[in-house]
Amino acid sequence: MINEANKPESLHHANESGPPMDNAIIPEKDLFQLNRRRFLEAAGFTFSAVALSGCTRPDPELALPFAELPEGIRPGQKLTYASSCVDFPSGCGLLVSVRDGRPLKMEGMPEHPLSKGGLNAVAQALPLGLYDSHRLKNPLRLGKKSEWKDVDEAILKTLSSVKDSGDAVRVVTPTVTGPTLKEAIDTFLKQFKDGSHITLDTVSHSAILDAHEKTHGARVLPHYLLSGAKVIVSFGADFLGTWISPVEFTADWRTNRVPIEDDPQMSYHAHFEGRVSLTGGKADRRYRLAPDEFGTVLNHLYAMLSEKAGKKVETAKLRKSPIAEADLTSLAERLWDARGESILLCDSQDVAVQVVVNAINHLLDNYGKTLDITKPSLQAQGNDREVLKLIDELKAGKIAALFVAGTDLTHNLPEHGKLAEAISKVRLVVSLNERNDDFSSIAHFVCPDHHLLESWLDAEPVSGLVSLSQPLLQPLGNTRSILESFALWSGNKSSAYEILRTSWEKNILPRSKSKSFRKFWDQSVHDGFIEASSVAPKVSEFKTEAVALSPQAKPDEYCLSLYTKVGLTDSRHAHNPWLQELPDPITKVTWDNYVSLSPTTAEKLGVSDGDVVSVEAGGSNVELPALVQRGQHDRVISIALAYGVKGTDRFAKIGPQWLESRLTVAEGELVGKNAAPLISTANGSLSLTRDDVAIAKTDKRHELAKTQEYHSMELPKNIAPYGGEYRDVVESTTLAAYKDDPEAGMHEKHFDTSVQLWPDDHPKKGHQWGMSIDLNVCTGCSACVVACQSENNVPVVGKDEVYRQREMHWMRIDRYIDGEDDDIQVSHQPMMCQHCDNAPCETVCPVLATTHSSEGLNEQVYNRCVGTRYCANNCPYKVRRFNWFNYSHEDSLVNLALNPDVTVRARGVMEKCSMCVQRIEEGKIDAKRRGVELTDGDIQTACQQSCPAKAITFGDMNDSKSEIHTTLDNPRKYGVLEEFNFRQGVSYLRVVRNREEGDSGEGGHSNHDAHKHSEVTPSNSNNIVNLDEKRTSETGGKHV
Amino acid sequence: MSETSPLRPALVTGDKSLGDITNDISAPMAGTPSPLWWAAFLIAFSALVLGVVAVTYQIATGIGTWGLNKTVGWAFDITNFVFWVGIGHAGTLISAVLFLFRQKWRTAVNRSAEAMTLFAVMCAGLFPLIHMGRPWLAFWMLPYPNERGSLWVNFKSPLLWDVFAISTYLSVSAVFWYIGLIPDFATIRDKTKPGLRKTIFSILAFGWDGSARTWLRYETVYLLLAGLATPLVFSVHSIVSMDFATAVLPGWHTTIFPPYFVAGAIFSGLAMVLTLMLIARKTMRLEDYITVKHVERMCLLMLSMGCIVGLAYGTEFFIAAYGGNAYEQFVFMNRALGPMNWAYWTMVTCNVLIPQVLWFKSVRTSLPLVFVITIFVNIGMWFERFVIIVTSLHRDFLPSSWAHYIPSLVEIATLIGSFGLFFTLFLLFCRIAPAIAIAEVKDAANVKKREILLEARNEPPQIIDTDPIPANVDPSMGC
Amino acid sequence: MNRSIVTVILLIGLFYSLIVVAAGVSTWRYPDEQQGYSPEQPIAYSHRLHAGELGMDCKFCHFNSLESRHAGIPSTDVCMKCHKFVTSSYEVLKEELDLADKEKRKPKTIISDKLKKLYASLDLVDPKTPNPDAKLKSIEWIRVHNLPDFVCFDHSAHVTAGVACQKCHGPVESMEQVRQFESLSMGWCVKCHQESTENGINGKAVHAVRDCAVCHH
Repeated sequence: MINEANKPESLHHANESGPPMDNAIIPEKDLFQLNRRRFLEAAGFTFSAVALSGCTRPDPELALPFAELPEGIRPGQKLTYASSCVDFPSGCGLLVSVRDGRPLKMEGMPEHPLSKGGLNAVAQALPLGLYDSHRLKNPLRLGKKSEWKDVDEAILKTLSSVKDSGDAVRVVTPTVTGPTLKEAIDTFLKQFKDGSHITLDTVSHSAILDAHEKTHGARVLPHYLLSGAKVIVSFGADFLGTWISPVEFTADWRTNRVPIEDDPQMSYHAHFEGRVSLTGGKADRRYRLAPDEFGTVLNHLYAMLSEKAGKKVETAKLRKSPIAEADLTSLAERLWDARGESILLCDSQDVAVQVVVNAINHLLDNYGKTLDITKPSLQAQGNDREVLKLIDELKAGKIAALFVAGTDLTHNLPEHGKLAEAISKVRLVVSLNERNDDFSSIAHFVCPDHHLLESWLDAEPVSGLVSLSQPLLQPLGNTRSILESFALWSGNKSSAYEILRTSWEKNILPRSKSKSFRKFWDQSVHDGFIEASSVAPKVSEFKTEAVALSPQAKPDEYCLSLYTKVGLTDSRHAHNPWLQELPDPITKVTWDNYVSLSPTTAEKLGVSDGDVVSVEAGGSNVELPALVQRGQHDRVISIALAYGVKGTDRFAKIGPQWLESRLTVAEGELVGKNAAPLISTANGSLSLTRDDVAIAKTDKRHELAKTQEYHSMELPKNIAPYGGEYRDVVESTTLAAYKDDPEAGMHEKHFDTSVQLWPDDHPKKGHQWGMSIDLNVCTGCSACVVACQSENNVPVVGKDEVYRQREMHWMRIDRYIDGEDDDIQVSHQPMMCQHCDNAPCETVCPVLATTHSSEGLNEQVYNRCVGTRYCANNCPYKVRRFNWFNYSHEDSLVNLALNPDVTVRARGVMEKCSMCVQRIEEGKIDAKRRGVELTDGDIQTACQQSCPAKAITFGDMNDSKSEIHTTLDNPRKYGVLEEFNFRQGVSYLRVVRNREEGDSGEGGHSNHDAHKHSEVTPSNSNNIVNLDEKRTSETGGKHV
Repeated sequence: MSETSPLRPALVTGDKSLGDITNDISAPMAGTPSPLWWAAFLIAFSALVLGVVAVTYQIATGIGTWGLNKTVGWAFDITNFVFWVGIGHAGTLISAVLFLFRQKWRTAVNRSAEAMTLFAVMCAGLFPLIHMGRPWLAFWMLPYPNERGSLWVNFKSPLLWDVFAISTYLSVSAVFWYIGLIPDFATIRDKTKPGLRKTIFSILAFGWDGSARTWLRYETVYLLLAGLATPLVFSVHSIVSMDFATAVLPGWHTTIFPPYFVAGAIFSGLAMVLTLMLIARKTMRLEDYITVKHVERMCLLMLSMGCIVGLAYGTEFFIAAYGGNAYEQFVFMNRALGPMNWAYWTMVTCNVLIPQVLWFKSVRTSLPLVFVITIFVNIGMWFERFVIIVTSLHRDFLPSSWAHYIPSLVEIATLIGSFGLFFTLFLLFCRIAPAIAIAEVKDAANVKKREILLEARNEPPQIIDTDPIPANVDPSMGC
Repeated sequence: MNRSIVTVILLIGLFYSLIVVAAGVSTWRYPDEQQGYSPEQPIAYSHRLHAGELGMDCKFCHFNSLESRHAGIPSTDVCMKCHKFVTSSYEVLKEELDLADKEKRKPKTIISDKLKKLYASLDLVDPKTPNPDAKLKSIEWIRVHNLPDFVCFDHSAHVTAGVACQKCHGPVESMEQVRQFESLSMGWCVKCHQESTENGINGKAVHAVRDCAVCHH
């Protein structure tokens, strides 16, 4: 659709005359065709130059209509297509909005049974991957640009010889859930005597499947149904962040995490982990436990539970549990009481440990209730034993042809050198990856696959749920669908579309209820997914004999724990600057991976943030900067995978270049370092945790760019004023307290916000847009941050600018860590423009560039702004972002990802969250056009739309039927810095932790404790109140 | 003119005749500049050039070339602005206020003080302009008819008040300064031989004829302007202070700012005047006109101002503690003990502690010591603004947004550049206009009165050396 | 003496500068003001003929304005709705028909030079015979009404509200070559929004918002 002839107006516009930014300033507009930068320089000195140039006629601008208007296309109108995110095994439902032939924005599909309208950060960033000029545009032969027919010829020639010789052919992919692709690969492999398809996942869940083979006789991954779980106990499983299917799990977990006034119930979530993960941060009780001790604790837990079940288990041989007996017993109690409504999750890669996990879940009668193995999940099928076997075969030179698709084999496996050498012995090495990554560069042929948004594919994340992914534009390069490639090599010349249709007619249609394929197909394409009958392997009854408590090995001095970041789940996404600049939800670090250490360990090693340490394990070592992480286990050293990806040095100059600027990626380096060499291949698994690790300080330094410099709500001890030691910007309470008083935990406010000097300023007629964020369910997953970046053309500024505290994200997530090291409370707070009615920013702008709309929005007019930055100084939330430079928009391909509804801001102007005003306007106009009233939900902000936890509510506060209207009188509602009477349009819902008063560490600060008591019993709250009064009259005093 | 008791010590020492006075003061303009002047000028000018380069680069590249960030939106830029406005103050104060109070000793200093005001305000005015993200659109700050319909300027914004305040102040002090110069221009016109120089000065002199009528008009106008300028001394810095006082930021949002800023401004202004006076006195051989007595009086003024400023610092802390606003309390704790406490303590030392030595007459009368002290005060007052702006900003309401601040080279170069501009202009001024108000000095010198007194005691009038070039002044010696 | 010289010089200076200013003002335009802009188009399409003489409705060709932000210059196939048959001016066609009658033969298709350009875009030699493997080519019209990119104007919103096309585009039906009739300056927009909120649009009450973000986001 995007060929020269039929180029829609606005697209043409986007190409020829650059992004809107270039026209953002009146005087600039006319001369920038000559050369914008020159002009700016000139304009800097003399205003007269501007005036003169302004008075000259601009060059004529062309407007190119279609020659033939394609069916159903209206230039400038947005169309939405259903698809699904098959790039990730979790397979979320997608709604892709396309404008003038350009896919622009990924949205969650509310109807989708798994993701339920949620979408993670990585999926949100897909458009940037699509418009990436570094994706391969042609097949490669020995690294040289080549033609498809030559490549195929050569490949088929070798293959036929392999066929005759009957040698081994291997296809390596990450977990493939799509039945059609599976079939294509199988038919391809059937041609050979010894052909097999091997699944390699960045983070392998092999042990869980193996354990079920032992206990249930079938190698299946249970479908975890967290919605049914009243008690969730997780051993290292970061199910809200990165584990198996986080978006789905978040949605399910949420269902039991919203206490309602008349029925204050919440699920209890205990979390055991070594590093600090997103999930651990959200847990009601987080225990520090090194991964190598999961086994020990689980053994004890199993013993306790089976005792309750009336079966004595011998625990004498077991090592002593590092977790306090009392804690464990009470946990066992909770689990036992919630039989059938509890769930135990564990990310251990030790099959024995996973067997115990299954045993416990079986004891608790959770199978069939919170774990479904009859309709199992297909989201992780990695098999470590096969992968290790492949490596051995490669080394032994037994493999004749190796095909790799969707994973950077050599990057993701240890022993890079040996592996590469082994592969060089293979007769035919073909990569189907979309870029020239580490593996592709040693492959004989690279047959680049389409981008997800260019290809026909399907997925079956959970047995019985089949979804489709459809192409949304013509492939931008001369690439070829993986389906077509494998089909062609099996002698089938049909297109991906035909292959998919035939396979669905043959396989999926019978599994569904419908008869006519045409209707069935059209419906499926329209909906994006269908519910079909399951075709899962038979599972047997639980085999108790499989369970044997084996005493665990004695832990070593340190324990290495490799993990993947929320924003960078896979090395394939390392080329996406949005994800690279997305701050890690826990550490707030961008553009790097690092070695996380506990404060104690850091002190022991004498390192602080940015000191480079060398981590050595199994003969290979990695040098990375250290990061001191509160709440980390003292023995645990954690490093993120998926960094150090070949080609990421392209980002060296992504930020503005000026006198004092430093490169984002240092000369001859990459973004982060690859930690895969540290993966342990001992005892038949690709284990991400190992004890045989040594760490040493080096004398190098490598600064880390964090978006947050201070990490606690507790002020620095030496300068905290009396009574003001703690700023509860994130208010929290306990479920117990909430039960007696739903408003418990409110930071008491002795001031009258009804005071209005100029009530007529805000008549509050018509629409009044407002937003509310439930901090109790916000996990900090940062999907909203990328969603906002994609919707609002927020630029990427590069590491150096982030280091200088100049990141541009309109929506940031503030993260505070309080409490003692062994029981930290992590609070996340999405923070964006609060759209105050009494906005401090509005009064101070000398040129009225920021004003208040009649609909309660705080508007920022870029083209009026002269850039005094007074508004930003006066903003109590520091949510305003200034364009310090002209951020790079040189790459015209990436510019296609720009949202045409939102101005691209020029240098020297202020910007900030607009509450997606472009969507509001579009919604209003659309309603008018259809001649109907706006109804709640017609307009959704970008952040709200794809929040997996549905934490964000947006709507018209004057509309009594709207959801936001009801949240206004939620007892948990509060406003940040409410006491100043800014009258924000954005409000928050207080955090409620399911804790007993007895529980330690609601943060160690007097006044906060005072809260806790005043929450408990009204009686003693009285004598506390004075103290509270004092404190809060301090905070509010000025405004009374 | 007012009566002066003969007992009162003369303001001009060394028995000058009217002729002498004229010659002494206009001498620097006659001869070619001395090496000393050249040295000073070259240093100042190269600083100016450095500044021009820095600003050019900044405007061409973006505000990002400064050390600012999402939390600290102002630093050197507005600090320099407030600093220079402050410097500007003493000028008007000395010339206008002291004139109204009939403080004759002002005559020695008022001219250079006024000039200083003018140049300082020029430097100040520069910063609001270049601190903008898009300075080429600065004219949007002016309420002018446009084709944007309802869109005008925001009269609620203190920045807009600044625009008016500063421009008014600049124009009034310029006029005041020029009016004061007219009779002296006339004097020089009459002294110079026909030629271009004469023509220029005759144009500048507005055809002054020294008639009683002219003098009368002149005195009236000068008096009126003095009256007009005086309130500005207080209004301008009050308004500047409102940039901060009307903001919500703890550490900015305080009612004490207007008087506090005015006092601070006068303090810094006096210090700068003294610095310049002492230099001028030495380099231009004006010892007889700028006497130790002058310096001492200035010192007393400065001391009192210093104490007021010290009081203000104390009050700020007291109010924070007493007002009981935890946010404000934190800001002040953070100033004194936080990561930027070095700036705070520099300020306190230079502005409050050091000036206390001025209680001792021996110090006040020792010019080198005074000179050093004034330098300290200048530094201290710059830091006062820096402390107010940066330490309040860098740690405000939400701990998540707290940020560090480190100035960039460009920022520092810009500061140096502003000093370059100031001194370049001042040195040029010394060359083209009399640095001391001749007419007023003559009036203050009371030569006639002395003669009459002597006659009364029927002693022969002392022979007054009428040699146009006094022995102690070498005409070739410039300023 | 000096004084008079000065006065004379000043007066002369003043006089000349006045003349210069006076001369300047007449041709002076606000930066980016486009009023009266009327570039020559690749095809001399006459709105006077189509919208005026033939009385075609604007939205017949500019139907996009009903549903989208862009009124949209119609795609070539829209023109073909008529010009598949109307290949030249009426007189010429009539003449050919009569001639054909006289000579008892099928009339030849006569194509005017103007329309040849149109057919070229669809790669057609004879409009009546479709060309399956045509190389499509957009007609390169020159944009007349061109708002700066920081302004978001939605045609459908205004059309639905019942604003007449002429309100902004002027009497296009009388223009041989389209010309920007109004200034399309912000003040002009705001004025109209204000008026229509007060007086409504042809009797119908409307709420034309004047918030900045309505156009600027």
